[in-house]
Amino acid sequence: MEQFIYYLKVSLLSIKRAPLPYALTVFILSVGLGVFFANATFYYQLNSDPLPGKSDKLFFPMTLIAPYQCNDCRPPRALSYSNVQKLAASDIPSAQAAMYSSAGYARLTIDQPPTPARVRVTQRDFFQMFEVPLLHGSVWADDNAHNQVILSRSMALKLFGRTGVVGESLVLDDRNFSVIGVLDEWQMLPRLYDANGRNHLSPTEDIFLPLETGYDLNYLSNSYSQTYDDTDYRQLATEGRSGALHQLQYWVQLDTAAQQHDYQQYMQSLAEDEKAAGRHPAPINNQLVPMNEIVDYFGDDPGDIKAFALVTLLFLVVCLFNASHLALNRYLSNQYEFSLRRALGANRSQLQLQMLADVLLMTVFSLLGALLIGYAGVSLMNALLPQNSLFSTWDLTLITALILAALVCSYLVTLYPSLRASFGSLNQQLKE
Amino acid sequence: MITLTNLSKIFRTELIETHALRDVNLQINEGEFAALTGPSGSGKSTLLNILGTLESFDSGDYLLDGKSVKGLSDAALSQLRNEKIGFIFQSFNLIKDFSIYDNIELPLRYRGLKAAERKQRIEQALELVGLHARRDYLPAQLSGGQQQRVAIARAIAGRPRILLADEPTGNLDSLMARQVMELLEQINQQGCTILMVTHDPDQARRAGRNIQIIDGQLHDSTMYEPLATQSA
Repeated sequence: MEQFIYYLKVSLLSIKRAPLPYALTVFILSVGLGVFFANATFYYQLNSDPLPGKSDKLFFPMTLIAPYQCNDCRPPRALSYSNVQKLAASDIPSAQAAMYSSAGYARLTIDQPPTPARVRVTQRDFFQMFEVPLLHGSVWADDNAHNQVILSRSMALKLFGRTGVVGESLVLDDRNFSVIGVLDEWQMLPRLYDANGRNHLSPTEDIFLPLETGYDLNYLSNSYSQTYDDTDYRQLATEGRSGALHQLQYWVQLDTAAQQHDYQQYMQSLAEDEKAAGRHPAPINNQLVPMNEIVDYFGDDPGDIKAFALVTLLFLVVCLFNASHLALNRYLSNQYEFSLRRALGANRSQLQLQMLADVLLMTVFSLLGALLIGYAGVSLMNALLPQNSLFSTWDLTLITALILAALVCSYLVTLYPSLRASFGSLNQQLKE
Repeated sequence: MITLTNLSKIFRTELIETHALRDVNLQINEGEFAALTGPSGSGKSTLLNILGTLESFDSGDYLLDGKSVKGLSDAALSQLRNEKIGFIFQSFNLIKDFSIYDNIELPLRYRGLKAAERKQRIEQALELVGLHARRDYLPAQLSGGQQQRVAIARAIAGRPRILLADEPTGNLDSLMARQVMELLEQINQQGCTILMVTHDPDQARRAGRNIQIIDGQLHDSTMYEPLATQSA
């Protein structure tokens, strides 16, 4: 250990000898790594499993029960209200919830200025299925209509200035609701429950409204929806439940392989019954996609993030070459010292330990630089791509990966130059 | 102690081959103080570098303490350099941003000696060269003669059996050169074998033996009277 501290001291002295070329090397490496980190953050968050251990038990059922004749077409992403009712009649799933996203304006009293609010219209099992933590209160007692809302923590703070607001009332689009629950800090990343939204980095909704209430009060979906007739579905309360408006995404929890098999059978039987009744003109095509495959199934992996990933990787390679070139110049100008050390008895392994000390210092400096530049990069990407404008903290896995990336890059930058320096001619260097 | 048998060294470029040393046969005994002399480019430094295992040779053999150094690994050669050989260079070769103490410590570090033993050896070496009070100085704060004495301290701190000096007084004025020579003689009297490349005939005469090299060949190996007898 004492010897390694000595190597670190020697490395620091070597930096002091020519600080500018060293700073430039670290800067180039930091820029390459920082840009790479920024993109890796998005990529990681988009591709991580938001519910490890459960995401393979939550399924997204889709069916072609619609007044639509087609061959070889995939079922739509959303279900109609009546389809959901038919699927919900099954008691195979451990939990099930239909939902869609909408928007409204909230305030405490009618004379206050309204606050825009993202609304998720859903059912009570939503909270259990997606492990949503409640800070205060409870969820709805059943799936019937209630003038009751559940607030996100941030919305409770925004409206009331505190979180303990169960029992308080608020006005949502000119109608009074009572608050029955407040969520704890919660952000599902990626937000895969919103399979129709195609925007898995969006923040959690502000207000949760019962599904039946949403239909009763004409809250239309503001994301994916599809209709198969000419009905005016703006009158959701009167037409929405019976017509062919497909705006509901539906999730079921199937804990065992037997449940999954039974549920597929149930969907098949339902589709056959509907076909027999003339309500399923297209060939039967049911899908039951687990949450951990939903992005691949819909092909929702954003192309821009992927393209960025490739570009930043290439940029990192270019930065590595440049940093390595600068490091080579630095090492060659220090070659005399390498030769002297070898003449005085250091073997190549000991010189490589010296190199590892150099790598360690470069890793520390370039990692710090890269984290700063990475953070700036993420902020810039949030500004340029507002649809992805959510950046949560770097978790331990990501930080560890970033440290490893910095370590490997520092090693690559230092490896060739130090080998060149340690294999130089001893005699020639000491004469110069 | 050192035996060279038909040792040859050729420097090759794409166009020419230069025979730096041709069939050199040499025996140096323990405790000798030998000067290597000869015109510039005659192969003195090449021979010294081969003896110090800083350079390889093409044919012949080099036995150190009866063992051939031919084919030794990098680690074995480094260990040999570290434990048995001390180097004194014409241009001192001190690391400019290391203190005197740290410069002398350099070869001891690679031997894996404990800090206490390193300290003891460094202080002994500094006492011998008379620079104990300047242990924390940087090389640039010392005169040329003092820097060469630091280089000598570095060379002897590891208690080597052979000291190889390549024109150790080449960059010094006559007064400082004399001091350095006296120091080398003192070290030799303590039993250390010294081989010194020099252009100075007076210094060559002060060594016990003069080995002359011309065009890569050993021409003469003059034995002088021992220094002690001369002064008597």
